[in-house]
Amino acid sequence: MVTALGRLTLSLFQYFGEIAALVSETCVSVVVAPIRWRLFARQIVEVGWRSQFVVIVTGMFTGAVLTAQTFFQFSTLGMKSATGSVVAVSLFRELGPVLTGLMVAGRVGASIAAEIGTMKVTEQIDALRSLAVHPIDYLAVPRVLALVLSMPLLVAESIGLGICASYLVGVHVLDISGPYFLENLIRFVGPRDIKMALCKAFCFGVIIAFVSCHQGLTAKEGAVGVGRAPTEAVVISSLAILISNFFLTFLLNMLFPYGR
Amino acid sequence: MISIRQLTKTLGSQQVLRGIDLEIATGETCVILGRSGCGKSVLLKHLIGLFQPTAGEVWVEGEEISRLPERKLGGIRKKIGMLFQSAALFDSMNVEDNLAFPLREAGVKNEGEIRDRVAEALNMVDLAGEQKKMPEKLSGGMRKRVGLARTIVGRPACILYDEPTTGLDPIASDSINHLIRRLQKRLHVTSVVVTHDMRTAFTTADRIAFLHEGGIYFHGTVEALKAATDPVLTDFIEGRSGDIS
Repeated sequence: MVTALGRLTLSLFQYFGEIAALVSETCVSVVVAPIRWRLFARQIVEVGWRSQFVVIVTGMFTGAVLTAQTFFQFSTLGMKSATGSVVAVSLFRELGPVLTGLMVAGRVGASIAAEIGTMKVTEQIDALRSLAVHPIDYLAVPRVLALVLSMPLLVAESIGLGICASYLVGVHVLDISGPYFLENLIRFVGPRDIKMALCKAFCFGVIIAFVSCHQGLTAKEGAVGVGRAPTEAVVISSLAILISNFFLTFLLNMLFPYGR
Repeated sequence: MISIRQLTKTLGSQQVLRGIDLEIATGETCVILGRSGCGKSVLLKHLIGLFQPTAGEVWVEGEEISRLPERKLGGIRKKIGMLFQSAALFDSMNVEDNLAFPLREAGVKNEGEIRDRVAEALNMVDLAGEQKKMPEKLSGGMRKRVGLARTIVGRPACILYDEPTTGLDPIASDSINHLIRRLQKRLHVTSVVVTHDMRTAFTTADRIAFLHEGGIYFHGTVEALKAATDPVLTDFIEGRSGDIS
């Protein structure tokens, strides 16, 4: 039991050490090596553009279902018109960034880990190195930058469409007064909520990028190794998003306090 | 050109290389022979800095490379090309882009010059006109040739071949062997060939180093190896496992 706990602690330290080394090498690369803008643009398409469908569906249906649930609870208290503001604040502060993060971790994180992992086991990464190209410059930097830029935009899109869906369901299906819905929404949602959503999106983008690149770069030989890399990238990214979200909520609430 | 001094490498709990000493002169072709899994490829990858030794030194053109950080190895790697066992072509690029990659990375901007050098390299490996094919459409032999073309397109002073004929049929193997010999004559490069294929060794080598149990067991000319009477060497040359069924 103690041995197993010791092993787990050691492997956790090793993992965090490897992630720290990857982050540090990526920061060095951004400073000392030229950024490959063509690869960056390709990753923007892959990460940002091709995630549109999942992000739109996630945002809209989360907004819609949250509206219905909130309405059913609030209608018993005679607070139907507060539904819009509650949904909007929930989407900005928690559900928008977290659910979009989880969806992007599933779609993009898995693809990054699988692609880099396959390159690793087929010696393509060694080939890059033998051609005097640093794998971090070529593989990690474009992906990290693309995720860090795309995530806030995807989260903004998801929240925006979530609120639109909430309005449609609230006003046209559940019969909430449109002007009251909008007035409450504007009154209770402020720049602090937008800043919080974008900060969380940025952090989740960083987490997905580094976890997925790390899983790809450390993939083990063979079909099992390559198969495990994307699975672990998704699991670790998702857990890291959920856990870091708890701490980010406290930290960002200090930076952007609600109701002030 | 290359000097290996007391090179030791431990992978996990296994000591793969045990104090290797080897000198490779400029312009010569040195074949490193040995059984599968004896550490030939590990040794070869030290020569281009893909592995860092546990102990010992690797000198390339008067520079000790074994302790250089990754970002400082670029200069040496521009002088040394490597053909990988699996050819390691970038599968997201066609043949032309695979060959153009080292040129673009080296800063060649003129697309006309890139096209000409790609065509010239493909011509050298007898694959003229195959620029637009994707790697998955190529046979094993063709992939090795494209890998070799990508290695020589940057005009390196030294080429490392990791099992150049493994997985190929005898005719494709023979054609790769002659290609290696032809490139040596034409480009006057230093070559290090890692193989367990005796035909490749005898066709391409100026000198042969036989790797056995982590050390250099034999080092000499092709003729000296052919004349050897040591049972470890003769069993390997004649392909005898010692099993009697």
